[in-house]
Amino acid sequence: MVSNFSTKDLVSGGIFVAAGAYFAIEALNYETGTAFRMGPGFMPLLLGSVLVVLGLGIAASGWKKPDAEKPLSPPWRAMALIIGVIVFFGLTIRGLGFVPVVLIGSFAAAMASRLNSPLFSIILAVALTVMCTLIFVVGLGMSVPMFGPWLGQ
Amino acid sequence: MDIIASLGLGFSVALDPINIFYCFIGVLLGTLVGVLPGIGPTATIAMLLPITFSLSPATALIMLAGIYYGAQYGGSTTAILINLPGESSSAVTAIDGYQMARKGRAGPALATAALGSFFAGTVGTLLLAFFAPPLARAALNFGAPEYFALIVLGLLVSIALAHGSILKALAMIVLGLLLGMVGQDIYTGQPRFTLGIRELYSGLNFVSLAVGVFGVAEILRNLENEKGRDVMVKTVKNLWLSKDDFKRIAAPVVRGTALGSVLGILPGGGHILASFASYSAEKRLSKTPGEFGHGAIEGVAGPESANNAAAQTSFIPLMTLGIPAHPVMALMVGAFILQGITPGPNVINDQPALFWGIIASMWIGNVLLVLLNLPLIGLWVKMLSIPYRALFPAIVLFACIGCFSINQNIYDVFAIGFFGVVGYVLIRFGCEPAPLLLGFVLGPLLEEHLRRAMIISRGDPMVFIERPISATLLALALLAVIIAVLPSIRRKRKEVFVEED
Amino acid sequence: MNKTMLSLAAGLMLAGASMTGTAMAQDYPTKPVTVVVPFSAGGPTDTVARLVAEVMSDDLGQQVVIQNVGGAGGTLGAGQVAVAPNDGYTLLLHHIGMSTAPTLYRSLPYDPATDFAPIGLITSVPMTLVARKDFEPSTLPELVAYIKANGENVTYAHAGIGSASQLCGMLLMNALDTQMTTVPYQGSGPAMTDIIGGQIDMICDQTTNTTSQIQAGEVKAYGVTTLTRLGNLPDLPTTKEGGLDLEIGVWHGLYAPAGTDAAIISRLEAALQKALTDETVVSRFAELGTLPVTAEEATPAALTQTLASQTELWRAVIEAAGVYAD
Repeated sequence: MVSNFSTKDLVSGGIFVAAGAYFAIEALNYETGTAFRMGPGFMPLLLGSVLVVLGLGIAASGWKKPDAEKPLSPPWRAMALIIGVIVFFGLTIRGLGFVPVVLIGSFAAAMASRLNSPLFSIILAVALTVMCTLIFVVGLGMSVPMFGPWLGQ
Repeated sequence: MDIIASLGLGFSVALDPINIFYCFIGVLLGTLVGVLPGIGPTATIAMLLPITFSLSPATALIMLAGIYYGAQYGGSTTAILINLPGESSSAVTAIDGYQMARKGRAGPALATAALGSFFAGTVGTLLLAFFAPPLARAALNFGAPEYFALIVLGLLVSIALAHGSILKALAMIVLGLLLGMVGQDIYTGQPRFTLGIRELYSGLNFVSLAVGVFGVAEILRNLENEKGRDVMVKTVKNLWLSKDDFKRIAAPVVRGTALGSVLGILPGGGHILASFASYSAEKRLSKTPGEFGHGAIEGVAGPESANNAAAQTSFIPLMTLGIPAHPVMALMVGAFILQGITPGPNVINDQPALFWGIIASMWIGNVLLVLLNLPLIGLWVKMLSIPYRALFPAIVLFACIGCFSINQNIYDVFAIGFFGVVGYVLIRFGCEPAPLLLGFVLGPLLEEHLRRAMIISRGDPMVFIERPISATLLALALLAVIIAVLPSIRRKRKEVFVEED
Repeated sequence: MNKTMLSLAAGLMLAGASMTGTAMAQDYPTKPVTVVVPFSAGGPTDTVARLVAEVMSDDLGQQVVIQNVGGAGGTLGAGQVAVAPNDGYTLLLHHIGMSTAPTLYRSLPYDPATDFAPIGLITSVPMTLVARKDFEPSTLPELVAYIKANGENVTYAHAGIGSASQLCGMLLMNALDTQMTTVPYQGSGPAMTDIIGGQIDMICDQTTNTTSQIQAGEVKAYGVTTLTRLGNLPDLPTTKEGGLDLEIGVWHGLYAPAGTDAAIISRLEAALQKALTDETVVSRFAELGTLPVTAEEATPAALTQTLASQTELWRAVIEAAGVYAD
């Protein structure tokens, strides 16, 4: 990495370039249309290209402005657990039902913090499950089975 | 005039003990669902529709309306306390409201939101009572070119949302605009950027995006370095506003109310702009714009008032013309029809008791909301003393449940995770999430109105300049850009002379 | 999740399904029945569903819950019901879109004809031809002449791909053999707003959306697409009277997933027929400008027949127009 550059600007600029390029290139598959009847590809192509330019500008603006602060390392464990819980929730809510999903999900989410012991996480998970079930299923009448078809209900 | 008589009739309906009771139930439920992320007024009203069968039309509609504006009150609470906005309007409140909470000023932030909302709600209701029909007529002058011009103006003015690099804010807006285009193109039915997933045909869900880039990203940031800093300030300084605070919020509340009232009347998406526009205006007008983004009370007062004024005035096209301004209003149309009343221009004459009763109940509802919310502030603030390590798992679960409950769509849940990571990375590298959300809500509107304007004008771009309202709005947009550029030029000159300040 | 628990759950499920199959059909229903409406709450289809569901609940002795699964022109919700368990507890209430989807969507993940067990027709909502107040023609023959003379200079609004107003527009252009400039909107509300505001010329939309505006004189009405005049718009001629061959109704039907027990289907059929004679349902429907179908039409046979013939009809119209949704 060039020490003369701001890593922050370089990386965020890079993300914008990548995202803009994705949208612009994908938009080439759609019709651009005419001024009278603009096609579905027109706006994404235009905006995607603008985003690429902006991304390059951001990366360039970091020239000779190296970051002052030291970068923190991302919380890998927390990230894996929390994103994992969200994905788990989506995959199993219909099959397992509300109660098991919330119970397992809140336990795993609680474990994302190093300050939480497994015992504390279990207590928290039980409390949260009771609370969520009361609020959403009983109180608001959310149409989700408490125990889903995978559990033989 | 007989407007006094009409209002008298309205209050006689609204003050019926049964109606007061259901109005209270409505605003209470609204506040609660507003506080819970995800489950918004749309889901709640839909769930309660069957119950309203057994009620009289006035009672049912009073309660349902109460849920809607009650949710606008409640929506700011989680945005301020835990940076979890449930709707586009409270996304703006989260910017400075959450920073105030971190500085131990959650109390004043919540009180500001409640008082601003009450003032705005009162003004909005008065407008509805006195000027609804002419205002609705005026709003009909807005066609596709006008909406396009308005959105362009909104986008350009909103660059002020950023408190860091303008370039990055612009990039975030454009990224938001692009994300807003995911889903089926309404003109051709072409699915765009859906990766072949049918559940994405109707686009990404705003709540998923907001909860991801605000809520989940914030949790990840807080878990970065748990030993180093305490993520929540536990000592709460005061619950109520100081004299100085009152002085600071007065003007923003009035301005926000005015801005929100006007934008709320426009059925083609004006209400969405209200809180963003107010925030930008306050930042521009402030003598200390540097405070914005770090807990400026004006940044809570203005947008919250604007948002509630717009919520109230968005009833105007519905009540006078039977035109729904947004999905919640469309749901209200359904509720009217289920009660055997087809909303339309004749409701005001055919059902005066109902029409004026609902309007009068809105003011009563606003009073109830303030009475309900002010004592709750203490309770909410106490919630912050729950250790963060116990709070964040609840936030994650609430986010999942809330988003899932909107459409029973599991991709809405996956989207939270995806945008949580994206948001975390971008914020880590110095970008702010608010412009992204603004772009996201305005993107589809921008494209829709641009393309519609071009179809109706048969491909002639002059239509934007030939129509007076659109020309004026575009001129204002140009002015906004000039004003935005000027201070930075002036500042550069100043910097040369005054290094100290 | 551990393996033994999963297999245990699967075993329980299988056992439950095979043992209680017949007993279940006789006691049906023993828990709330969900009716999926593939559009958002508050819309015309949702309104029809809620009115009928309310009365069906009383007859079935179990709550009939409406679940709105909007998106992808109604194909998302229909797709969910197609793969739902066929135990009679998940039903679908869909409109005319059931017959247009196979042509509009070339990659439809289900087959309306084979993946569902029809229960019965519910109602057919008439459509009306309306225009902005200051639109030149004032009668239907004048409108026909005007459209033929001005062609693409006439702007026609519709509520989105696959919407009833788009279908009616296709039929109209077919009948007149003239192209208009079609302008899509996101739903009927915004389209109607622009008609009332005079931003756009005309639309053909369901009476649910137009009746109150016609009565208030906010829009100019030319004709109704039914064979007889409507009770609440007695002055509005039918399209046939005006010499225009345009007949379309937005028909609604109730479906269960294919393979649902015949006993359950007939139980639901009976409940539906009863609901359609209910006083509230009849009067509310009348206010919307529509009527419940007769008992003979609220049957699986009638719905099967309608679905088949409508699918054929729309295949020809849509293919001729060359409009697709994916």
